[in-house]
Amino acid sequence: MNRSTAPDSTGKLNFQLPGIQQFTLNNGLNILFVEKNNLPIVNMSLIVNAGSRFDPKNKSGLAYLTSMLIDEGAGDFSALELDNEIESLGSIFGVSTDSDLIYLNMLSISDKFERSLELLSMVYTTPIFSIDDFDREKQKLLTSIIRNYDDPSYIASSNFRNLVFNNSPYANPIIGDSKSVESITNSEVIQFHKNAFTPDNSHLIVVGNISQSQLETLLNKYFSVSTNKRKEDSFLSLSKNEKSSFYFINKDGAAQSEIRIGHLTNNRNDPDYYAKIIMNSILGGQFSSRLNLNLREDKGFTYGISSGFYYNRHLGNFQISTSVQSENSGETINEIEKEINGIKQNISSEEIDFSKSYLIKRFPAMFETYSQISNNLSSLIHYSLDKKYFDNYIQNIESCTKHEIEIAAQQRIIADELIYLIVGDRDKVLPQLRSITNQNIIELDKFGQKVS
Amino acid sequence: MNEILDIKYQKHILKNGLELVLYKDTSLPIVSVNLWYKVGSANEIEGKTGFSHLFEHMMFQGSKNVPKEMHFKYIEEAGGNLNGSTSIDRTNYYETVPSNSLELALWLESDRMGFLLDAMTQDKLDNQKDVVMNERRQRYDNQPYGLAWEIIFSNLFPTDHPYHWPTIGWMKDIEQFELEDVKHFFKTYYSPNNASLVVGGNINYDDALDLVKKYFEEIPSGNSIPQIKIPQLELKQSKKIVHRDNVQLSKLYLAWNTVELYNDDDSPLDILSDILTGSKNGRLFKSLVFEKQIAQDVSSFQYSGKLSGMFVIVATAKPGVNLDLIKSEILKVLNQIEHDGITVSELERSKNTVSSSFIYSLQNLNSLVNQINNYNTNIGEPNSFIYDLERVTSLEKAKVDSMINTYLKNSFVELHILPKEVAFGNE
Repeated sequence: MNRSTAPDSTGKLNFQLPGIQQFTLNNGLNILFVEKNNLPIVNMSLIVNAGSRFDPKNKSGLAYLTSMLIDEGAGDFSALELDNEIESLGSIFGVSTDSDLIYLNMLSISDKFERSLELLSMVYTTPIFSIDDFDREKQKLLTSIIRNYDDPSYIASSNFRNLVFNNSPYANPIIGDSKSVESITNSEVIQFHKNAFTPDNSHLIVVGNISQSQLETLLNKYFSVSTNKRKEDSFLSLSKNEKSSFYFINKDGAAQSEIRIGHLTNNRNDPDYYAKIIMNSILGGQFSSRLNLNLREDKGFTYGISSGFYYNRHLGNFQISTSVQSENSGETINEIEKEINGIKQNISSEEIDFSKSYLIKRFPAMFETYSQISNNLSSLIHYSLDKKYFDNYIQNIESCTKHEIEIAAQQRIIADELIYLIVGDRDKVLPQLRSITNQNIIELDKFGQKVS
Repeated sequence: MNEILDIKYQKHILKNGLELVLYKDTSLPIVSVNLWYKVGSANEIEGKTGFSHLFEHMMFQGSKNVPKEMHFKYIEEAGGNLNGSTSIDRTNYYETVPSNSLELALWLESDRMGFLLDAMTQDKLDNQKDVVMNERRQRYDNQPYGLAWEIIFSNLFPTDHPYHWPTIGWMKDIEQFELEDVKHFFKTYYSPNNASLVVGGNINYDDALDLVKKYFEEIPSGNSIPQIKIPQLELKQSKKIVHRDNVQLSKLYLAWNTVELYNDDDSPLDILSDILTGSKNGRLFKSLVFEKQIAQDVSSFQYSGKLSGMFVIVATAKPGVNLDLIKSEILKVLNQIEHDGITVSELERSKNTVSSSFIYSLQNLNSLVNQINNYNTNIGEPNSFIYDLERVTSLEKAKVDSMINTYLKNSFVELHILPKEVAFGNE
């Protein structure tokens, strides 16, 4: 048998995108719905335009703490009673918060859908916010903050975020810092919920084994909530990274250095998105990318390295992340700079074809689980993407030209604006950094304060 | 509802001993290829640990017909995803690809099963040794509480027990991997007669069988697999270990020897863990985190290996709280259950949670196919979802109640991870 060449793919794939239905309830709540019947499951996701960027000044962590408290009792149920109601159905409730949105997720078996929806509605509209629950969850959040600072990877990521998004509402850590959380009161949580958890400020995404007419009936029954209007969403301070800078945070005895390098970039719904994603998959977006093949598969400096464009609703950033053996910190940064120069100078047609093939052929697998589909729909809302975004995705990747991809590398990765942050053992790492850069290395403590 | 858990499949055993399960699900144009080798860290010996995990790296370094770096490239270019994982008992390798690239995945898997050593070099080993050492630094040494599990395993299981060392291996062993040992390990364990292959997704049974035969049947079977020696397991007296780490919060781990996978007692122990810590109403969560607020979090689980198992309770102390206080509260709750038992409604709630989770677990083809391989490898029957679920739903309260007395009254390992700097005047 001849094994010497890879077998070709056989035959065409038959894939149909799930149809997305949109409708609005009388109170203004927007619904996105996909009927999916291969399993008796319904996934609900209520997304509220109330992420951490809405935290008032010096109250960083307010959105996050509100999300922690949202399911600590609702309607007539105390925190423990509510949890028991949900668990007894075999449903799974979860909350998550990012810079822009709070997500309330409920996964249920379809014959427990009605009750699960009713409980989700209670959580959304009538959380209790008792003072006992508030005190307990606030203490829990304060303890989480302490614990996060044990993790070198968190120290690197949260400080990098702060340096890149400097002077914008995206700079603060989503979970807040000790001082700001300490100052939050229960009435601030109650007010935050009252302002933000309104139908015109929320979307409900339902994916699952239910018909649209059944769904509409049940939504009218359980979601005919009041029609408070949300205050206008203003986004004032946009920042820009003006010049390259170099930061170091000491972590005594660290076995590895955490490295973050990057800068601000444009928005998710800007037209060069496709060129950027193709270019990035060549640079560091997948296992076979240049960065990983160089620093892992050739040099063995790291378990893995990646790059990406990460987006908020209003501001994005480009970022390279890795964790490397302390002894190789300086050389790693040299190699990263080499790769950045390289991608700006030369991208081959083979690499472009490879990336396009990767991005196009994996597309059907992005619609496998109920929560994957739900997450895809929420990205439409999060970034105000075109309704036909998924219908046109493959075409948009295919039609990207080599020139557009080269322009993306030249314009969207800017060597003069790169911010470098290294978290590692000072004695081992700082001398290496001094030998590879002429820049002034600014030393911070783990909370981001300058060390003199 | 249970009919959707009653999966249809075909099972074949190839002439070289390779077990093959085919499972058809046409809801999406994708297919998962999932290969288990019945080798894990339990097949290693003290002084030469970490080999089975090393292979999780070497198997992606190319084989006779697949140049270095190309294994990933072929799958990524086809729009697939791939990975592998190592446990104490087995290693698995898997890829999910568009269904028209099934043949590519089978070509890659068969080439490294049959012809890996033709392309194994000292350079590749040296490179991946470095990567594994960095993986160990990143995931364990430089990770808060990252050494907890290897401390527990190595204290709960004696030196001559195959679960004594971590799956990634001891750093000193990784540093000393020798090419000859690596080759020998491969020849011993990575043969078709020591593997189980599941191909699931958008397939046609006959075509898939033909393709698997085409690529795998000519690979010769290997020698018989060396038996693992399992010493008598009994922790004669409880041990307390104190480990200082770069952390600010103290953490307590309690671990008991229990039972192996699919023993009659592993599902009641699973349910017990859910009743202790599976929700806010979990007995330990409610007491330690919700009411007394002496712990930041608490979790518990039954870890069932093929040879043996353990039950573990983990709690992170609030700042300034002494771990001895947490421990005594935990033991108090366990005593309460021993005397009064769990309630019927607690048991029902747990059963509902588990029943739903079986349905939810069917969503992702890769994890579904991996579970089919688990059943095929460990029970010999791929269609065991209903059997496995009924081990839980048929449980009676008295059985769960008895777990405390049967296992959690025995000697145990107690690990305290404490801050290096005594920040809160703790211990």
